[in-house]
Amino acid sequence: MASNTVRYPQDMTRRLPILASACVALFAASIFMQRLIDPGRQAYHAQENLRTTQAAMGGLNNEFMLLPLLGFREAAAGLLWVRCDEFFHSGDYDAILPLVRLITWLDPHADNVYITGAWHLDYNFTDSSERSDRRYIAPAVGLLKEGIANNNNIPDIKFELGWQDFDKIKDFPGAVEAFKMAIAGPYGDENIFDPAKNHTIPKDQDNEGYWPYAGPLKDIHMLAHAYEKEGRLPDAIATWDHALERSTKLLRDKPKDFGNKSMHDAELHNRAEILQRYYDRYTDLNHDHNNPSKLPAVHAAAANGGGKPGPFDIALRPLIEVPRRYVLKVSGRVNLADGGRIDVRISDWDYKDRVSDKDLRALQPPDLGQTILIDSISIRKDKFAREMDMSKDPKMYSFSNKLGPDKTGLYKIVLSFNTRTTAPHIQDYAGWSGEGLTDAQPGRVFYVSDEAQLATKMIEGEGGKGPVWDGKAVPFPFYGQPPRVIRVTYKINQQQVLGNKPITDADIVPNDPDTTIMLK
Amino acid sequence: MIAWAIARQTVNEALRRRIMWVFLISGVALIFLMPLFGYLTAPKDSQTVLRALGLAAILLAGLFITIVTCIYLIPVEIERRTIYTVLSKPVQRYEFVLGKFLGGFITVAINILFMGVLFIFMLYLQSLKVGLDRGFFACITSGTFAPEMIRGIFMTFFQMLLLAALTIFFSTFTTPIVNFFLSFGIFMVGNLSSVTDSLTTNSNWLVRGTGTVIHYLLPNFGNFNIQNALIHPVAEISNPNEYMRNNIVYALIYSAVLLILAIIVFDRREV
Repeated sequence: MASNTVRYPQDMTRRLPILASACVALFAASIFMQRLIDPGRQAYHAQENLRTTQAAMGGLNNEFMLLPLLGFREAAAGLLWVRCDEFFHSGDYDAILPLVRLITWLDPHADNVYITGAWHLDYNFTDSSERSDRRYIAPAVGLLKEGIANNNNIPDIKFELGWQDFDKIKDFPGAVEAFKMAIAGPYGDENIFDPAKNHTIPKDQDNEGYWPYAGPLKDIHMLAHAYEKEGRLPDAIATWDHALERSTKLLRDKPKDFGNKSMHDAELHNRAEILQRYYDRYTDLNHDHNNPSKLPAVHAAAANGGGKPGPFDIALRPLIEVPRRYVLKVSGRVNLADGGRIDVRISDWDYKDRVSDKDLRALQPPDLGQTILIDSISIRKDKFAREMDMSKDPKMYSFSNKLGPDKTGLYKIVLSFNTRTTAPHIQDYAGWSGEGLTDAQPGRVFYVSDEAQLATKMIEGEGGKGPVWDGKAVPFPFYGQPPRVIRVTYKINQQQVLGNKPITDADIVPNDPDTTIMLK
Repeated sequence: MIAWAIARQTVNEALRRRIMWVFLISGVALIFLMPLFGYLTAPKDSQTVLRALGLAAILLAGLFITIVTCIYLIPVEIERRTIYTVLSKPVQRYEFVLGKFLGGFITVAINILFMGVLFIFMLYLQSLKVGLDRGFFACITSGTFAPEMIRGIFMTFFQMLLLAALTIFFSTFTTPIVNFFLSFGIFMVGNLSSVTDSLTTNSNWLVRGTGTVIHYLLPNFGNFNIQNALIHPVAEISNPNEYMRNNIVYALIYSAVLLILAIIVFDRREV
């Protein structure tokens, strides 16, 4: 007869089903709660997923490896950023890039890391003559765009993208778009920044005209400057008006604030200056004692030289020599005032700026074998000259292109003068879009076909289409004036780069519309 | 009441353990050393790093204090045979487990509270805008508090509640050393909740299934990491209060599950 052994006390046995049921019910409740939490956690940990975690963990040293696993991603990012700061002060820029990549994976909201990382890519990788390595531009743009995607409500990264376009690449349409994005904020309207919805912006930034708007006032200032550079004056004036509206409010709130007053005055000055320049350069109206000419300045220079009123012949006469292998001496004459610069672009014939992959796994050029050099030579007494020694930097200038009939390589040298990037005293007779310049050799007057580069048409007959601005309508909806760039393009081969064969006018080819006027 | 008496006794015992003090002193030292990282080029970066490291110091110290406190609570009683004296009195086993858990957690909470107050005070000191040359009073009133950091400390508090329950559960059937590695390992995996969540939508059924089981079965410690939004105040989060509330409920429910399991196991354990 089997014995009925009771192993556990009765109360324990009685409790078991109740406890087990409660356990199952609570566990189900925990799953329910987890499903409620998941969307919120995805917002808190946006961009933190298997891919970025794998990538970050793969790059971390042992000393940092444990931190992200224990939930200290931001602490690991902070410590890496401290190390970046040390590298920055010691000038070890190469060491910074992989850390920047890791930090932005660990902490995708570290806005300053995107900004500083892009700045390193843009400015700190140079050859032995301090010329930037333009192959890093595309990864820098990619990094900033990634930062914007991860931090849509932070205007600083958008501003930095605009600044990069404005200052480094001279992509003024790109800068306009970036500054507009920074001003508009995450909801496409600068006035929609609702603290009730936790759209938090630190209020202590109101001294910049930030609060309660989505972006600071400097974004509007730079937008106005970018419009002016682009030759869209009505938009530039409308943008200064927009800035004045905000700065007037600021001034009303703090009338004794010297910063607000000087900023407001600078805006008024800039607005007035644009209009005065317009009248002087393109019309015979409102000329003051500084400009007694009865002609628009863009037509006066030729008339003052004894010719018919119209564009002025700058007579670009370049000469390219190769004194030693991989050393190019670019010189020549041009009828332009001191302060102007001739842009030089030496590249593979088929150079394309691009990133290595869309994920930007590495912040480096996609193809280290590509060659590109961009420089600008200043004009002194109608002459320009510079020797460009690329033999010292084979990593930047490998000249390993394989185009050409015998696959020995084909290269492009483009010399150009773009009035949109030149000094105002030259623009005073050249115009914003080069309406006042020409070259006796018609093939050297190059009209940029890119629609995005079209400016407001200011004067008849210089390649523009559509109506001429009346100087009053703000903004003016028509864009019809392409930039007129004076440009000469050479097509050379490997033997010429090596100095075995001279570069002559016979190597000049028609200007290639695919070669951008931007510095990238 | 019996559980509360055991909890009080446990707190007294735990606070006498030197190992806990080692971690507390380490956490406090890390918080004190934070200003050393404040030399970065951009002041904004310094604030970011200070906040990240301060919250990490509290979490790190809290993690070790929780584990080393809770792994010993039950095994030590068994090893010293003091449990016989306790259980021979009218004390139910579940009361014993609950008392130990409460005692352990109160100890951890005291430590987190202490470090949290110190951290906020250090941030205040860092924010002082004028020097002592302007007078002590002017100097000490020129700083600003960072009340939003309390949210981070509060979430660490509930994260440790969950970890304490997990450690107590394991301590009912494992040795302290095994418990240490088990709890630590599950804490690490639980912190990867964003990764496990992304696995639940993987196209491979095996990966998706494994990810789903891990995501819902193991405690998701990663839910409680809200440091990023606190460190970068412009990072926009909608309904942060609701998120915190859901997490607190989650921590309470999951801790209850673990404690029930601990009671079931301990009920059946021969001691």
